Amino acid sequence: MVAAPPAPKKPVSKPAHHEPSAVTPATPTAEGVISVRGLDFHYGTKQALFDVNLEIPARKVTALIGPSGCGKSTLLRCFNRINDRIAGAHISKGQVVIKGKNIYDDDVDTTQLRRQVGMVFQKYNPFPKSIYENVVYALRIAGVKKKPVLDEACEHALKVAALWDETKDRLKANAFGLSGGQMQRLCIARAVAVRPDVLLMDEPCSALDPIATLKVEELITQLTKEFTVVIVTHNMQQARRVADLTAFMFMGQLIEFADTTTIFGAPQQKKTEEYIRGIFS
Amino acid sequence: MPNEPKASSDPGASDLIKPPRFMGLRIDRQQVIRAFFSVSAAVTIVTLFLIMWTLVTEGPFRLQKKLGFLPVPTLKGGFLDTYRWELGVYRKAGLEFCDHVKKPLTEHETIFSRLKRAVGAELNTVSKVSRDRRDAAILAKTHVEERAALQREALQEALDKTGPATPPEKIEELRKAVREATARKVAAEVLPPLFTDAEKQKLQEDLRGLQPDQEDFPPFIQELMAESAKQDGLAREKFAAFVTAVDEFEVAADPIIEVHDAMKELALATKELAVQQHMSEDAVAQLLAAAAIAKTPEEKAAFEKDAAQTDTTAIDFKGRIEPLLAKRADYEKLIPAYLATVKKVMADMPSKPLTGEARTLLAKARKDLPEHIKTVEASLHHMSGWKWDKPIPLMQSLSAFLFGGDWITNSSWQDFYGMVPLLTGSLVISLTALLIALPFSIAAAIYVNQFATLREQEIIKPLIEFIQAIPSVVLGFIGISVVGDLIKSTSDVAWLQWIPGFPVAERLNMFNAGCLLALMAIPTMFSLAEDAINNVPRAFSEASEALGATKIQTVFKVIVPAATSGILAAMLLGLGRIIGETMVVLLVAGNRIAIPDFSDGIGTVFQPAHTLTGIIAQELGEVSRGSPHWQALFMVGIVLFAISLFINWASRLVVRKFQLPKI
Repeated sequence: MVAAPPAPKKPVSKPAHHEPSAVTPATPTAEGVISVRGLDFHYGTKQALFDVNLEIPARKVTALIGPSGCGKSTLLRCFNRINDRIAGAHISKGQVVIKGKNIYDDDVDTTQLRRQVGMVFQKYNPFPKSIYENVVYALRIAGVKKKPVLDEACEHALKVAALWDETKDRLKANAFGLSGGQMQRLCIARAVAVRPDVLLMDEPCSALDPIATLKVEELITQLTKEFTVVIVTHNMQQARRVADLTAFMFMGQLIEFADTTTIFGAPQQKKTEEYIRGIFS
Repeated sequence: MPNEPKASSDPGASDLIKPPRFMGLRIDRQQVIRAFFSVSAAVTIVTLFLIMWTLVTEGPFRLQKKLGFLPVPTLKGGFLDTYRWELGVYRKAGLEFCDHVKKPLTEHETIFSRLKRAVGAELNTVSKVSRDRRDAAILAKTHVEERAALQREALQEALDKTGPATPPEKIEELRKAVREATARKVAAEVLPPLFTDAEKQKLQEDLRGLQPDQEDFPPFIQELMAESAKQDGLAREKFAAFVTAVDEFEVAADPIIEVHDAMKELALATKELAVQQHMSEDAVAQLLAAAAIAKTPEEKAAFEKDAAQTDTTAIDFKGRIEPLLAKRADYEKLIPAYLATVKKVMADMPSKPLTGEARTLLAKARKDLPEHIKTVEASLHHMSGWKWDKPIPLMQSLSAFLFGGDWITNSSWQDFYGMVPLLTGSLVISLTALLIALPFSIAAAIYVNQFATLREQEIIKPLIEFIQAIPSVVLGFIGISVVGDLIKSTSDVAWLQWIPGFPVAERLNMFNAGCLLALMAIPTMFSLAEDAINNVPRAFSEASEALGATKIQTVFKVIVPAATSGILAAMLLGLGRIIGETMVVLLVAGNRIAIPDFSDGIGTVFQPAHTLTGIIAQELGEVSRGSPHWQALFMVGIVLFAISLFINWASRLVVRKFQLPKI
C-alpha cells in the first residue's frame, strides 16, 4: 500500500486556478460543453462525489479513469440525470451545466435533456425489437411518424455506427440475432439517431472480445466528427488509444484532468502516476 | 516427527473411500436422500396416472378381468357401449320417430307464445286504460275490505249464525261498526290518478257502502267493468283478423298433438318392454355367474333353474313398430290444413304494429314462420326415410355425446347425454370472466410494478393476493345476494336500455358467474403478470429512459412488449383456474341446461347456463354407480381434464414462443 498523500489536493479544471500541479493545459479557456462545478453527489446518505470540477471540451473524446468505485460512472450518469432512476440518489451541491443551463434546475425537462445527451451502457442492451425499430426508437417516442424521415435517420445512424454495411439487408431482423460487438454498435447507432450533442459511454467495451473492442474504439474516434464523447473505462490502454483528454478519479474526487499524453506521460499527481504504473492498491 | 509419512498415509488413503454407513447399513447417505426425492416425484406422477386410469375406466371403458386377475379395459359396458344401447332402444322402440313430430310441435309452442304476447300488446293500445281503471277500482275495493276485515268478519259470523239467529238490533250494531271502519279506511285509501275527482268521489261512495253480505260489485265498479269489457270487445274487433288468426293457429296444432300423444304411448310401451328385457338378461348373466362359483351342486342347480325361468324372449320390435308407422298417414293428412293456418297467420299479422313490443315479436315470428313450414315439411320427409332397424355405430354414440345439444336426464321420455350446452356454458362464462379479469389484473400489475411507491406496493400486493383466500362458496353467496340484485336493478335503469341483453330476466346468469370468477382469477393473473413485468431486465427501461422516453412510453413500448410471454402465460393460467372452478358457477350461473341463445349477441351473457364442472358436482352424488348417467358424468370429467391439459400445454407453448432470446 502506497501511502496516500497527506492532504489530497483539490482537483480543478478551471484555468483561473493557480495551483500549477492541477492546472490542465489541455482544457480550453472557453467553457466546455459540459461544465461540472463543485459537484457533490449522494446515494442516500453515502456520498459518492466530492466537489468535482470539470470542463469537458466539444468534439473531443474525454475519458474518465480510475479504480472501481471511484465515482467515474456516477459522474458520467450525472450528465444525463439517469441517476434520477435510483431512489435516494441526489446532488447536494454544485451544478452540471450543459449548453449554459444547469441541468439540475427544477425546470429542466429530462426527456429533452436525454435527447441531447445520449448514452451507451456497459452491457449492450438492444430492445427485443428489429434492428430498424431499435435505431428509430428515440425518434418514434419523440413523435416522428414520417417513414422517409425515419428511414433516413436509421441509415445515417447505422452508418455513423459503422453498422450499415452489415445490417442493411436485414433491418427487419430481430436485434438479438447480432453478435455482441454488433449489438453494442447498434446501441451506439440508437443513441446517435436523434443526433445528440454529447454521447456518454459507460465502459462500452467491457463486455466485448478484443476484436469487437477494436472496432468500437475505431468508431469512437470517428464519432468526434459529430459528437462530444465522454467515456468511462477501466482499461488504461483503451483510454490511451481513444481519448484526447483523460480525467483520473479516486475516491469520489477528481485527482487530475489533462491531455491524455500528459496523464500517461507526465502525470502531475503522485496518485495518478501510481495508478498508471499499476503500483496502486 | 519421525513416523509422520507412514502414519499420515493410512488416514489419507481412508479419506478417499466413501463414508460407508447409513444407520449401520452399507449405503451411501447421499443415495438415500436422492432416493427420497425421486420417490416423491414418482408418487406424484403415479397419482396422476391413477387419476387418468380412474376417469377412463369409469367413463368410456370398463374393466374386465382377463386370465382371472388381469384388469383390462374394454369398450364393452363402457359409456359408449351403454349409450349406444340406449340410443338403439330410442330408435327401435320408435321414440325417435315420435320426436320427428314433436319438433314442429315445440316450435309451434314457442311461436304461439310470441304471437300471443304480440296480440296482447296490440290489444292493450285500445283496452289498457279502461282495464287499468277497472283493476285499480277492484284493487281499492280489496284493500278496503282487507283493512276492515275485523269488523266484517264479526258481522259475517253474526249473519251466518243460525240456531238462535242473531237479534236484528245486534246485527244493526255490527253493520254500523263495519260502516264506520270502512269509511275510515276509504278515507285513508289513495286512489290512482286514473280517475277524475268526480269519479273518485263516486268510487269512494261505492266503497263506503261495502257490506260483507253484498254479492254484487258496487254500481260504479260495475260500470267500469262494463266499460272495460266494451273496450276489450272494440279492441278485438279492431284487430279481428290478427286475433282470429292467432286463435286458429293455437287450435290448429291440437289434432297433431293428439296423434303425437297416441304415438308416444305406443313407443313408450315398447321401450318399457325393452328395458325390462335388458334387465332380465343382466339378471340371467348374474345368476349364471353365481352358478359358476356355487359351492354345492344344489345351489348351482337352483341358480340355473332361476336363470332358465327368467323370461328373456327377444322383443318383436318389427311387429310393434308397425302401428306406429301407420300413424304417419294420420299425421300427413293433418299437414295441409295446418300449413294453411300458418300461412293465414303470416298474412294476417299486422304489417305496422302499433307497439314496439309487438314489432320485435312479430319480426321474430316473421323470421320463424317460414322456417317452421320447412320444419313441418322436413318432418314428413324424415319420417318416410326413417328406418327402425338402422344400426347405430359406436362412433355415433361418441358424437352424440360430444356434439349433442341436449343434456336430459331422469326423463320419462328419453335421456340424452350431449355435452354441448354444458361446454358452451363453461366457455361463455370463462371468456366473460377472462375479459373482465384481464384488464384489471394487468393494469394493476403494471401499476404496482412500475408506478407505485414502495409503500403502495406493500399495501396493494398482499391485498390483491388476499382475494385468493376467500372461499369460493362465500363468493357464491355474494353472487346470489349482492351481484345478482345489482345486475338486475342496473338493468332496469331506463337510460341503460341500449346495453344488449337489458333488461335482464334472471338474476343468476353467466355474467354474474363471470364477474365472480374474474375476481377469483385476478390474484393469480396479477401475481404472474407482475412477476413477468418484474423479470424484464432493468437494462431495457434504463436504455429507454436514456433515450428520452417518459415512464409511460417506456412501460408501453418496451416493458409490456418484453413481458408479453409472461402476461400471456398469466392469462392462460388464470383461464385454467376459471374453467375448473365449480362452486361459484354451481351457485350463481343459474343452472339452466340449454345452449344459450346467441341471437342476443353480447347480451347472451345475461342468460343462465349450466357448466361442465357444475353438472358433475350437482349430479354425481345422486346417480347410481355404473349407470350410463354416471359414466356420462365421468366422460364430462375427461373433457374437463383434456381442456385443462390443453390450456397448460398452450401456456407452455406461448411462454416458449414469446420468450425473449438470451443475450
